Amino acid sequence: MPKPNDDFDPELESTQAGEIAIVAGLGARKKAPVLEQVQGPGAPRSFPLAIDETVIGRGHQANITIESSRLSRRHMAVRRAGPEMSCVDLNSANGVYLNGVRAHSAVLHDGDTLQIGDVVFVFHEAGA
Amino acid sequence: MSEPVFVRFWGTRGSIPTPGHKTRRYGGNTSCVEIRVGELLLICDGGTGLRELGLDLLARGRPNVEAHLFFSHMHWDHIQGFPFFVPAYSPANSLYVYELSPSDDRVQRLLHGQMRSEYFPVTFTDLGARIVGRHFENQRTEFGGVRVRSLQQTHPGISYAYAFEIGDRKIVYATDSELDLLLSDLEEPLRDPQALRRLPDSLVEFCRDADLLIADGQYTDEEYPQKKGWGHARANTVVDLAVQARAKRCAIFHHDPMHTDELVDHKIRAAEARLTHAGSACQVFGAREGLVLKID
Repeated sequence: MPKPNDDFDPELESTQAGEIAIVAGLGARKKAPVLEQVQGPGAPRSFPLAIDETVIGRGHQANITIESSRLSRRHMAVRRAGPEMSCVDLNSANGVYLNGVRAHSAVLHDGDTLQIGDVVFVFHEAGA
Repeated sequence: MSEPVFVRFWGTRGSIPTPGHKTRRYGGNTSCVEIRVGELLLICDGGTGLRELGLDLLARGRPNVEAHLFFSHMHWDHIQGFPFFVPAYSPANSLYVYELSPSDDRVQRLLHGQMRSEYFPVTFTDLGARIVGRHFENQRTEFGGVRVRSLQQTHPGISYAYAFEIGDRKIVYATDSELDLLLSDLEEPLRDPQALRRLPDSLVEFCRDADLLIADGQYTDEEYPQKKGWGHARANTVVDLAVQARAKRCAIFHHDPMHTDELVDHKIRAAEARLTHAGSACQVFGAREGLVLKID
């Protein structure tokens, strides 16, 4: 496994989805957008969103794997489109809730709360 | 028709576009909502949000666009995006524009008018797309498995709400309507703000059991007395419409151009508290640009 370079933020926890954190350290600017997990298994911890699509779910094919029975294997994706970041429900069983509203997808803004099953994230924009 | 229905908000602002950092979250583009089921595309209003919808339609890579356009009314903030709707310029595309009665040509006439050379460099007749007028008969029309009803609203110059029934799903688009002038007791909200505001049966029935009610809730209770007669509703009165109609979800729409994101949050929190007080299972939220809802 490659060693993170000097840009790597040591506060970003390495997880089963450690690839995400490593990618952030190797290839991204220090202030990539971040999903801060504030509730659910493994919280608190943060995931930088340094690739164009980050899939979150309980399956090992997800980029961020969280072991919760209330998550689908591939539950939600966070995608980059130009300067915007969006969340998309990947036909999950329990849905994606943006600030409490069940959403199929949405453009994300700083401070938005995303809930999937028993897992809650706060989205932080790049540089925020 | 059992395919899921997707509703996307492309513009949620009232009156005038409000770009800038104070309105980023709810958005600054004026009224435009996309309703999509399979290949069928319905567009409610052509405010400045329509421009970005047009660009997105091109990015989807379909060889041609066929869209059904419904205008609540022809005030500027509901038509200003049309000249910038890129699909209107391609001969491969077809746009169906709905008039309110067989003898009415108001929608096409005013779309045409805002593209006169005094206002815009390209005229309506130079648009490449096939633009076809269609009309309601007895407040109803139907196409492609979609049943649509219209209802006249209270707004300076008159506006219309639309109820779209797609299979067993129902979406109501009801913007630019001063519900507060329809109350059976106009003064009751001042005497007892918590009391349920009774709305006409015809309106309640029009919205009955909507899976999604998108409604003009531009003002807070505190603001409304200074804005009476301007054609827009208190958000709390929209909540009471949703309660009486037993709507499942209610999107407060047409945000005031003076409202920052924080002020819209404040308005929505008051609406949520009112729903909780009413014991309703409906969910209320602030419509925001870029939000897509799936209605199964």
